[in-house]
Amino acid sequence: MAPKRVVSVSLGSSKRDHRVDVSFLGQPFEISRRGTDGDMEKAIATLKELDGNVDAIGLGGIDVYLYVGQQQYVIQDALKLLEAVKVTPVVDGSGLKNTLEREVVRYLSRKTDLIPPGTKVLMVSAADRFGMAEAFVEAGCDMIFGDLIFAMGVPYPIRTLAELEQIANKLLPEICKMPFHMIYPTGKKQETVDEEKAAKFAPFYKEARVIAGDFHMVRRFLPAQLEGQIIVTNTTTPSDVNLLRERGAGYLITTTPELDGRSFGTNVMEGVLVALLAKPLSAITPDDYLDLLRRLNFEPKIRKLN
Amino acid sequence: MALHEEIHESLIAFCEGYNNNAKLKAMNRDWDRTVLVRATDVDSEHTLTLKGGDLTLSEGAPGEPPHLTVLGDSETLVDLFYGDITPTEPYLKGNLKVLGEEDDVLRLDFISLMIWGE
Repeated sequence: MAPKRVVSVSLGSSKRDHRVDVSFLGQPFEISRRGTDGDMEKAIATLKELDGNVDAIGLGGIDVYLYVGQQQYVIQDALKLLEAVKVTPVVDGSGLKNTLEREVVRYLSRKTDLIPPGTKVLMVSAADRFGMAEAFVEAGCDMIFGDLIFAMGVPYPIRTLAELEQIANKLLPEICKMPFHMIYPTGKKQETVDEEKAAKFAPFYKEARVIAGDFHMVRRFLPAQLEGQIIVTNTTTPSDVNLLRERGAGYLITTTPELDGRSFGTNVMEGVLVALLAKPLSAITPDDYLDLLRRLNFEPKIRKLN
Repeated sequence: MALHEEIHESLIAFCEGYNNNAKLKAMNRDWDRTVLVRATDVDSEHTLTLKGGDLTLSEGAPGEPPHLTVLGDSETLVDLFYGDITPTEPYLKGNLKVLGEEDDVLRLDFISLMIWGE
């Protein structure tokens, strides 16, 4: 059987590029990543080159859609990337985040003792992971949503979903029009910790038992020393795991499956699911994803680091 | 073209919008900055000073180099500080420039959106 090709085109560093061959439900896949070092024009050129020549494309290092409550916001820079692709299905991972990550938190709540009710959870950003945010709230966790802290530099912890929605409604319609690099680490910023802000915002990390959310955000503001915190995230490489271990994280829980020693971004895995479903994107529902995830026996990977 | 007095009135409205918002003041207690607002088509300069979460307005340029400089034509400045337009639109059209550290520019946008956003 010919392998299906899924390529993730990322605004992140090309240093993380890789390729793996893997099989899902008997279907062979060739999965690869192509980083464009924060260069939008290069990303558009890469997308045009791949369009029509692969089975699915994932957009990495950027979200197209943010969902907060019932409201959808569209990041304009990401829309330019999406519009460069005319034939091949292209996904940003938001569909999978809303299903898989919600399920992961439910799994942790029901099947482990890692997040009992009252657990203090810092989500570095919730606007890009509202499903996960809702699931932590459902599990009875004591939340801090760090969207203002880490994306805007405002040391104000948002504590409820209602306040998150209220602030998102004020800010996101305009923030989504800004150059993406102003609100999210792209390119070389993904390879480094912002030590000054990490020190300034360290108390938010240290007060929490669980640090959850996008790994580039988690890493960018990672304090010099953690105190056994549980990290719940998606995309990690072996060097990321070493960094977390060195800095004192207790557990690493990754929401997407590990292939060749690394977990892939939700955009990649959503691309795999779309290629497996072989349906038009507009016809795919959250239940399609959930059904497929169950058939694939997806479970979070829980790793003790310290 | 708007007059210096109109820019002044719009900045008073902006300061009132800010200072009447207790949450916004609390959010900015860590951010002490001076912002020079200069019109490009009329002789008009103002200084916004953020200190300990409070925002004050004075006429003229600050005594020391400002952290941020907002440059725009008088109509754009008035529209912006009255909240009739968001910063994004005049940025993209080139009618507005904000000079300073990127983090500070983002923070000023944040304040503006928190006062006047939907």
